[in-house]
Amino acid sequence: MTRARRLRALAVRVAGLFGRVRRERELAEELESHIQMHVDDNLRAGMSPGEARRQALIRLGGVTQTAEAYRRQRGLPLVEGLFQDLRYGVRRLAKSPGFTLVAVLSLALGIGANTAIFSIVNTALLRPLPVERPEQIVSLANAAGSRVFPGFSYPNYKDLRDRGGEVFDGLYAYRFAPLSVSHEGTSERLWGYVVTGNYFEVLGVKAALGRVLTPDDDRQPGGHPVTVLSHEGWQRRFGADPSVVGKSLVVNGRGFTVVGVLPRGFYGTEIIAAPELWFPVSMQAEIEVGNSWLDKRGVENLFIQGRLRPGVGRERAQAALDVLAAQLEREFPEVNEGKRATLSPPGFFSGVMRGAVLGFTGLLMAVVAFVLLLACTNLANLLLARAAERRKEIAMRLALGASRPRLVRQLMAESMLLAVVSGGAGVLLAYWLTQLAAGLKPPVDVPLAIDLHLDYRVMAFTCAVSLLTGVLFGLLPAWQATKVELLPALKDESASGGFRRSRLKSGLIVLQVALSLVLLVGGGLMLRALQRAQALDLGFEPKDAVEMSFDLRLQGYDEARGREFQRQLLERVRALPGVQAAGLVDLAPVDLHFGRDSVYVEGRAQERASKAPRALTSRAGPGYFRAMSTRLVRGRDFNERDEEKSPPVAVVNETFARRFWPGEDPLGRRFRLGGPEELLLEVVGVVEDGKYAGLNEEPQAYAVRPLAQAYTGTNTAVIRTDRNLREVLAAVRGEVRRLDPHLPASGKTLEERLAMPLLPVRVAATLLGGFGLLALALAAVGIYGVMSYAVARRTREIGIRVALGARASNVMRLVVGQGMAPVLFGVVLGLAAALGLTRLAGSLLFGVNAADPLTYAGVAALLTGVALLACYVPARRATKIDPLAALRNE
Amino acid sequence: MGDKADVWQGTLALMVLKTLDTMGPLHGYGIARRIEQTSGGLLSINYGTLYPALLKLEQEGYVSSEWGTSDNNRRAKFYKLTRAGRRQLAKEARDWEQTTAILARFFAPAEES
Repeated sequence: MTRARRLRALAVRVAGLFGRVRRERELAEELESHIQMHVDDNLRAGMSPGEARRQALIRLGGVTQTAEAYRRQRGLPLVEGLFQDLRYGVRRLAKSPGFTLVAVLSLALGIGANTAIFSIVNTALLRPLPVERPEQIVSLANAAGSRVFPGFSYPNYKDLRDRGGEVFDGLYAYRFAPLSVSHEGTSERLWGYVVTGNYFEVLGVKAALGRVLTPDDDRQPGGHPVTVLSHEGWQRRFGADPSVVGKSLVVNGRGFTVVGVLPRGFYGTEIIAAPELWFPVSMQAEIEVGNSWLDKRGVENLFIQGRLRPGVGRERAQAALDVLAAQLEREFPEVNEGKRATLSPPGFFSGVMRGAVLGFTGLLMAVVAFVLLLACTNLANLLLARAAERRKEIAMRLALGASRPRLVRQLMAESMLLAVVSGGAGVLLAYWLTQLAAGLKPPVDVPLAIDLHLDYRVMAFTCAVSLLTGVLFGLLPAWQATKVELLPALKDESASGGFRRSRLKSGLIVLQVALSLVLLVGGGLMLRALQRAQALDLGFEPKDAVEMSFDLRLQGYDEARGREFQRQLLERVRALPGVQAAGLVDLAPVDLHFGRDSVYVEGRAQERASKAPRALTSRAGPGYFRAMSTRLVRGRDFNERDEEKSPPVAVVNETFARRFWPGEDPLGRRFRLGGPEELLLEVVGVVEDGKYAGLNEEPQAYAVRPLAQAYTGTNTAVIRTDRNLREVLAAVRGEVRRLDPHLPASGKTLEERLAMPLLPVRVAATLLGGFGLLALALAAVGIYGVMSYAVARRTREIGIRVALGARASNVMRLVVGQGMAPVLFGVVLGLAAALGLTRLAGSLLFGVNAADPLTYAGVAALLTGVALLACYVPARRATKIDPLAALRNE
Repeated sequence: MGDKADVWQGTLALMVLKTLDTMGPLHGYGIARRIEQTSGGLLSINYGTLYPALLKLEQEGYVSSEWGTSDNNRRAKFYKLTRAGRRQLAKEARDWEQTTAILARFFAPAEES
């Protein structure tokens, strides 16, 4: 037979899968006409009518057999069998909607949660940078001892770039810069990148319109007022105007010409933050007004990334970097002592945050995988019980000659159906969850590009997970169910030898209880941590206070105008109704961006810069500590007499005082900040300790200078009030606008500011707690199901016991004992696992003991209680068994 | 494809094609009787196997079918050779003759070479 003929036949047979009713009728008619003709002939040959028909049927070989052989030829038996199994599965599922609903719901929750979390991992860790050959791009991190931070100075960058050609095809550097952009009369606060001239060249990013920045834009400091726009910025701000190239933008008070637009989808070289404008680093002093660092080797504020030469591995590049770092250390020991440059994958601030992100998402993945596993074991349990109900039916079919693989396939079809439907529901759920997550703006001041769309990786992941779960919870019960001893099953004897099966079920219960215990302990610990965080001594009172941040430098204010603005604003704000205190500060706690400076105490031996002790520093005006409700321990607060020309003063915290003048009176002592040649500052006051850069930190030394003596245009005004916070915020914003309608300002309450450092704990508590409760519910359903089934199966045995004189309490003890044994075992196992696992969450716990006995005992008690309840209901049913009915029944 | 049933099916198919070639359009029962007659009663086929074979031939496009009325006024499905069927018959007949010729040589009294 030729191939074409075979294909034709196959096509006809595939078509034969459809139109079944008409074809069946035709077949029946054809066979009937065959028999009739044969009968006619036989009658003519002289047979009796009965014999004629009998002979005709014998020669045909039976109508049913012929029809079956015909059907096998007509369609594709394998596919039809599968269809049959699926149809049968659908019918069976439709018959028990309760079971189906529980199954699909729990699986969909599991799969959906997995998909959602995986899509976050995908965005954060798996998706490559949107550039040419992204696998060659590496980040450099600056390591000094155990301290790793992402910044490098521009002079060090230039040296690395010029000497690293052996292993790098190019090294570029960039930095985030806050911008105030004026365009057509509106003014906005945005973030941009300041980049070296070779940035786009090394990345291989071409302009969609106009040109990108080139090394030629990086020749003359202050000489290249040009910028390129991101695709999104171009669309949002210029309505995708194709003639945008050549237009002008006022950025931080200075005109820049747009020379190009970047391609769609290029969001820079950090994974989550999406800037809109790129500037040459030669213009940094114009962008960061009053802050020039191109020639300062001590200012380490640039991220460095580079492209490895083809064929150069990480190890070789690292070895070359070690050599370069050693050279730089020799040449500039005062800033480069002990420093190394280490390689890491790009994204997350030169890999410094990568570990934390990996840990967090790893934890999440583990949690959701746990829940899915739980849903699977639960379903496996339910399926086992269902299969046991069909024991007789299955035995009958085996006895009639059905093969075991065929039956397993049929039972598997049911579980695969469940898995696929749940997978679909899971994707919908995940889509909804990611939409929800994308809508939740974390309380940070940076534009985030968290692009959580479900791409092919996520879809492949979900498919794999669904199929895997289908096999996981389907295969074992199906295998078990078809392992039937025919005779007892057919004789309707309840198998009392079902211990093997019940051991499997007990194992599943142990696993479920242990898993939900681990999750609940995790959630409980996080709740305790939150509680602890609420009670933390912050060193200020976050209630009843608001803050308003603005940056005068970005609007081109010089110092004189800036001071005037600050004075007028405070005057007006203090005059607002309900304002109890108001003060200015450069940066309010709690904020990761807190700066540190080295401290030189008057009259002590001077240390080298890299060895000098450091303290957090801040600048604040009169009224600030009162507005924060920070307690003054000794001395005085700043006042109006601390001005430019008066003696330089400082307020320090208790830790600062204790560290530098242990056992002495700090008032009147003097120290320098930032360098041995800086001004001597006299301590005039001591305030209580607080939290500054993070809620987790140990007590830190902290020194504050008066704003009047250390001017900065980057300000936060803190206002304490007894009125409605939103109204006060609006009123303050109104005053800012009246003074300068173009100044961008962002306001929030102090409590909102605290939301950011608490975010990881809150998220962890919500997730672990939520999943833990879900797991507990699943486990309870599982226990209940298994025990109900066990009671039903042992009805006769219990009936005999009752007949022989067992009392209700004996029966109760029997059933509850049987149910609780695996539960208690699971609790012990779970406690051990939780002890091991929760140590990993140490940094999130705010000092709560990872083995907090209260949490462990509480969770164990809760779980045991719920399990007892789940056992009690079937046990009660067992005590109601009427021995006569039970014995007659079977 | 190489087990007995297929060989038998292949042979049966050839017989069906030849029968339709000689007799013109015919229903299943007629084909069965005709094959029996032609074989001189040596072949006693199970009539039931004929129908899957006919279906297979139809799927391959060698025969086509149509409902009609038999000599004694019974409604029946009539099968008829298509052009492709005729070609296939010619080819298979050639192959068959060749095969039998070769086999015949094997079983013929040995000729001295």
